[in-house]
Amino acid sequence: MKRSLRSWLWRVPIDQEIEEELALHVDMRTRELVERGMDPRAARELAIERLGDVARLKREMTGLGRKRDREMRFTLWLEELRDDVKFAFRQLRSSPAFALVAVFTLAFGIGANSAIFALVDATLLRPLPYGQPERLVSIWERSAKTPRGFASPPNMLDWNARSRTFERIAGFTPGVGGMVMAGADGNAETVSRQWVTAGIFDVLGVKPILGRTFSADDEAKRANVIVMSESFWRTRYNADPSVVGRDIRLDGEMWTLAGIVPKEFEILGQTSVWAMRPFVNMPPRARAAYMLQVVGRMKPGVAIAAAEADLGAVADGLAQEFPQTNKGRGVVLEPMHDSIIGSDLKITSMLFLGVVAFVLLICCANVANLLLARATVRSRELAVRSALGAGRMRIVRQLVTESVVLSLIGGALGVAIGAAILSVAPSLIPQSLLPPTVTLTFDMRVVGFCAGAALLVGLLFGVMPAWKATEFSSAEVVGSDSRTTTGGGGTLRSVLVVGEVATAVLLLFGAGLLLRTLVAVESFDRGYRADSVLSMLVDPLGSKYPTPASLQQFFDQVEAEIMTVPGVKAVGWTSSVPLGPDQLDGYSFEIVGDPPVPESQRPGLNYQVASPGYFSALDLPIVEGRAFNSRDTRDGVPVCIINEAFARNYFHDRSPIGRQIAVRAADAPQDKPRIREIVGVGRQVKGRPDEPKDLIQYYAPMAQDLSDDIYLVVRPASGRAEALAPAVRAAIGRVDKEQLVSLRNITTLEDIEWDVTGRHRFRAVLVLAFAALALLLAMVGVFGLLAYSVQQRLRDFGVRRALGATTNDVLRLVVGNAVRVIVTGAVIGLVLSALLGRLIVTMLFGVQPLDLTTFAVVTIVVAVTAGLSIAGPAWRAAQIDPAVVLRSK
Amino acid sequence: MTTPSKTPNALLHGALDALILKTLARGPSHGYAVARFIEETTGDAVLVEEGSLYPALYRLERRGWVEAEWGTSELGRRAKLYRLTDSGRVQLETEMATWRRFSAGVSKVLFST
Repeated sequence: MKRSLRSWLWRVPIDQEIEEELALHVDMRTRELVERGMDPRAARELAIERLGDVARLKREMTGLGRKRDREMRFTLWLEELRDDVKFAFRQLRSSPAFALVAVFTLAFGIGANSAIFALVDATLLRPLPYGQPERLVSIWERSAKTPRGFASPPNMLDWNARSRTFERIAGFTPGVGGMVMAGADGNAETVSRQWVTAGIFDVLGVKPILGRTFSADDEAKRANVIVMSESFWRTRYNADPSVVGRDIRLDGEMWTLAGIVPKEFEILGQTSVWAMRPFVNMPPRARAAYMLQVVGRMKPGVAIAAAEADLGAVADGLAQEFPQTNKGRGVVLEPMHDSIIGSDLKITSMLFLGVVAFVLLICCANVANLLLARATVRSRELAVRSALGAGRMRIVRQLVTESVVLSLIGGALGVAIGAAILSVAPSLIPQSLLPPTVTLTFDMRVVGFCAGAALLVGLLFGVMPAWKATEFSSAEVVGSDSRTTTGGGGTLRSVLVVGEVATAVLLLFGAGLLLRTLVAVESFDRGYRADSVLSMLVDPLGSKYPTPASLQQFFDQVEAEIMTVPGVKAVGWTSSVPLGPDQLDGYSFEIVGDPPVPESQRPGLNYQVASPGYFSALDLPIVEGRAFNSRDTRDGVPVCIINEAFARNYFHDRSPIGRQIAVRAADAPQDKPRIREIVGVGRQVKGRPDEPKDLIQYYAPMAQDLSDDIYLVVRPASGRAEALAPAVRAAIGRVDKEQLVSLRNITTLEDIEWDVTGRHRFRAVLVLAFAALALLLAMVGVFGLLAYSVQQRLRDFGVRRALGATTNDVLRLVVGNAVRVIVTGAVIGLVLSALLGRLIVTMLFGVQPLDLTTFAVVTIVVAVTAGLSIAGPAWRAAQIDPAVVLRSK
Repeated sequence: MTTPSKTPNALLHGALDALILKTLARGPSHGYAVARFIEETTGDAVLVEEGSLYPALYRLERRGWVEAEWGTSELGRRAKLYRLTDSGRVQLETEMATWRRFSAGVSKVLFST
């Protein structure tokens, strides 16, 4: 093979080759024929004639020759590649320290990127797991008050019936609380469920894995039917197929289990059971009961704008038909993917992607620096190869092959690291940010991403050092002593390190802003103290407390019993806890005595039921008037407490105490309102720090508005609230043992807050971790640059010392260089931070993108770490003994 | 490509490759020399179609059984010389064995009494 390759190397163009070969043939044949006595001219004609159709022959030979050349070129290329790869492995084995450092640097960079890619893939790239997901949209009701609200069932049914652009529209109600069902061990357990309309499975195109989904027949019959999720069916019923079709007792009623649907359906919220709710023949006021999250499947080929126009027209028609409820209400459509993957999650994914990409760049720069340093060491080897006739491109290719081999090994390791990160990552991501159904999977897409990243990275950090390394006049290098070669690339290496420092500073700055946000969010004044409050939902079962009076008596007994528990400071009851579920919205009010307000313009409020003890349990101050007390009973004067925003916005400088307000449920505007007298003003409770405006709140005394499921809040005198849970349970058991099973959602307000601030914590911690990694890598880069240049200049320093320079002079030289690099990098980084800070402004709270404190802290951190990385090489330079250095060659 | 058969004996399919390989086993030579050698050795009993000789040489080169390099011809001109490779030698053995089996089989039938 070798010989044929050589012959190929000096091959003439194919046409000329054939021409010459055939010409020789004809000449020789002619000579033969003439020797046999033929006339030369006739001989030549015969010789040509015997070749047959010459033009055709040439064409055939050209085709064959071309193919042959192509194959040979490819074979040659493969052989060179094989040789290069073999050589690369030999090179790496011969310097294992370099290989290890480079491979691990790359593995971490690629591993981190692959994990983040999996997140981005799950949130931004992968479509929903339904058939033709691009045709699925979420449909919201829009009003002056809510730009994107839930829809009322009659409206949804009319949209479905009247729209021309939709195949079908259906809805579901998330977060309606669980249904109680007899557990496997005989005890009651709460099963999470969603209310859905019959068509939901058809809209999403979900096929049951067993049984059936809901039918029009179920709806018409108003049947009690449920569909169960695969995961619940597997864990609770051990995937027993015979359970389908059976009746199951839920909340005391019998429900028929129609079928089982696969896991993917849980994307609308982690739910065990979907119960069909037949919204047919509803009373007119139901048009104002906004309870459905609506999804629709557009007909094929319909654009979302066209669908929005179509539904908008339908909504306008409804507004004319039912002005009482529908005036001023329209629709808003958005791709379903967007409504499931929140914009917060999207920007978080983008943030992380940007951050890890920067980390990978720093990894590349570090490895490129290592390669540049090595190239200097290897300059003699390269020069010799060049002198032996290897072209520059050939040597560059060889060097690039080495770096690609490096990066591919790093990439393979990176896959392992990425898989390890992903196996723990889901538990780190807060539930409030990542819907539980968005799964992070380590699949072939991620592996493919790693392979692509490794190749790209190998080229990225390999090409430039290789090009630099081959910039030499060979005679010069071969002749010279390698030790005195300062080597090209000194400037280039400094530039790389400057870039690393700048990137690390940028990431540190971002991490600083996010950390400050986290601190601001956590230390934010919510108006109450959540540091230590136990909360649980009490939901008395059955018919044991049929009247409000008996129910109230039960709650009073429980409260009295808990107060006897040692260490309990305050006990209260409420319909919802701050930041928790079950918030009561959808109420409107009028101030009695003020001019009447048209129904559609009445302001809304957040309605909360609270017992007298609620305010002390949460340390929620009453700023004016009084709190509820034991005289606010069912038979007493109806009273209420409003919050500061309410007083400020609607009473201005008048005192609200003693005034009356009339409150109505928005879905029953015609009902007689509840009229209550304001007795107090409570401190503003602010749930989320980023809440756009202050909530208008109104508390009614529990005794005057009793419901049978209510949250119990308990504050201990000292110590941790969760430690009280067993004693509180026991106290409830002493009052009524049967009700122990009805206790749910046992948690602390602190934990609820922790969940809400989770996204800030997650971002801050993750970006900080990456920034720390970046800083470490950048400082390793500074250290490497400096250590190497000291090593290269030992003789130089020795000479200087011998000529009378002091240790300080030498130190100034070394440190001066490093400081220049670091300061340049830091300044560039800070400028970039100032420019890029605004990109993450939506994730910030309580801190400006140009935060001076963060600037200062980042500068100090960089200065300190830079000092540490400079110290080693500087000390080495200071230790130089001129006698020793100059004696050694 | 086929010229009308004006030959005493048209070559059997595949035999041309074997003949070329055998010829080159004696040493490197150019296309004309290969053709001449076959004509002389078979006593002109087998006529090599020159129109198929060269394509055959190119095919053999592509398969790696022969390789080409530039050398000098008897006329003192540059000539493309073909040389048998190691794998070509192996191929020749195979072709010879096949041919032996084939002709023995055919002879058995034709000359049986």
